Amino acid sequence: MLQSGGSQSSWVRQYAFYFDSSSCSGCKACQVACKDKHDLPVNVLWRRVYEVAGGSWTKSGNIWVPGVFSYYVSMACHQCAKPICGDGCPTKAIYKRQDGIVLLDTEACIGCRLCEWACPYGALQFDEATRLMTKCHFCFDYIDAGKPPACVAACPMRALDFGELADLRKKYGTTSQVFPLPEAALTEPALVIKPHRDAPRATKDTAEVANWEEI
Amino acid sequence: MTGLAWKEWPLVGFTVLSQTAVGAFWMIAGASFFLEGASGWNSRYLTFPFLAAVVVVFGLAAAVSLFHLGRPWRAVFALNNLKRSWLSREILFELIFMALAASLALLVLKKAYRPTLVRMLVALAFTASVLFMISMAKLYMMRTVPTWRGVYTPLSFLGTALLLGSLGAALSYDVFLDLGRKVRPFLDAAAIVALAAVVLIILSLFLFAPGLGLFGTKKTTLLELPVVKMYPYLLSRLIFLSGTVLCFFLYYRNPGAPFLTLAFLSALAAEVAGRSLFYAVYSRLGV
Repeated sequence: MLQSGGSQSSWVRQYAFYFDSSSCSGCKACQVACKDKHDLPVNVLWRRVYEVAGGSWTKSGNIWVPGVFSYYVSMACHQCAKPICGDGCPTKAIYKRQDGIVLLDTEACIGCRLCEWACPYGALQFDEATRLMTKCHFCFDYIDAGKPPACVAACPMRALDFGELADLRKKYGTTSQVFPLPEAALTEPALVIKPHRDAPRATKDTAEVANWEEI
Repeated sequence: MTGLAWKEWPLVGFTVLSQTAVGAFWMIAGASFFLEGASGWNSRYLTFPFLAAVVVVFGLAAAVSLFHLGRPWRAVFALNNLKRSWLSREILFELIFMALAASLALLVLKKAYRPTLVRMLVALAFTASVLFMISMAKLYMMRTVPTWRGVYTPLSFLGTALLLGSLGAALSYDVFLDLGRKVRPFLDAAAIVALAAVVLIILSLFLFAPGLGLFGTKKTTLLELPVVKMYPYLLSRLIFLSGTVLCFFLYYRNPGAPFLTLAFLSALAAEVAGRSLFYAVYSRLGV
């Protein structure tokens, strides 16, 4: 489980994920591929698929008009430019590689869980068996071997992609926040999202995460 | 997120006990510098049993905090990030305060010291304890956790230190060390500090407590605790605080161990309930 070292692509300055919320069918193949590849225990999910549900029915004359909506948000660690998890870490166990991947040195981690409290994406997760923190490390072993991360490779809808952040922004735009994610300015995530068409309607007051039990 | 209140019992224990020890030390430092003595110094309050008790309670707090860690035997690594981590700084000042308080206790025991040295050590230990309290508050005031971000966090820690510190110091001097009559001005000062602390705790609760206070954070995150689940903690804290005040008044009418002990125990229960609520309301931005 040690996440350190490894060769790395010298030309990449910041690896990032791209997520197409308009294509995601919520099948959770990414979540399962990640869990399988890293042999994650129960209660640890490095990639999670949030089901957002909102809206309501409105009455127009004698007719009830449906205004409900739902969409999916697949999230992992976003290898933030300002990783708040690492800022608070008392042991410097959390650090960024040259290519922007945020790694966790399990030999230095003391399991104080401060990073878990701080990360607004829920990316830092505690493993009750090892009594240590765990996190998505962008499948750096696959990256170093020239392969895509397991979640990206598993997506049947091609809703996930990865690459250099600047390239992804050029290709897909600069959106990195949709409900229920926090303000991007908090940690500057290396993430590009193509929002679902109903995402602008979703706020804390009009929508909710409908599958907390699963994540 | 209610489970957090019970899951974090080591942190409830650590914060309440360490703040009690720090508050008691503040009382003694204050008494030594400000109560009587034209020279501006009075060493009557610096007794070995009291200083030893401060070190033991503080050490116990540190020991309890280890139960919070996944790998307690690696705790020493926690000093590695003094540049950026408030937790590293908290632990540094914790160690410095404990070392200074232990040195003071030994000097007082040996009675082989110069007053200037003791005054310097008291001032240094006081400074370390203040920095410890600031670091402890800052580490919780993360920009992603609005329920801990506000002024309630430092006020709550200060309230615990003043309430349990003053009552603990009064209890030590009046009951265990049986110096009641000789240290009357000190007991009066402790009474004023304890009552001021109760006022501070209640005001900060109703003004700034997350989810409850008039100016506290309202619902800003998806994971927030429903207010109704906070009521049992709030109610038990208020009942125990009322018990503390009542016992303290009874103690003043009938000086002696029973009422002062009851006042301290009631205050301890109030602060444990309050700190449990503090951890229960943890809620971060995002998911």
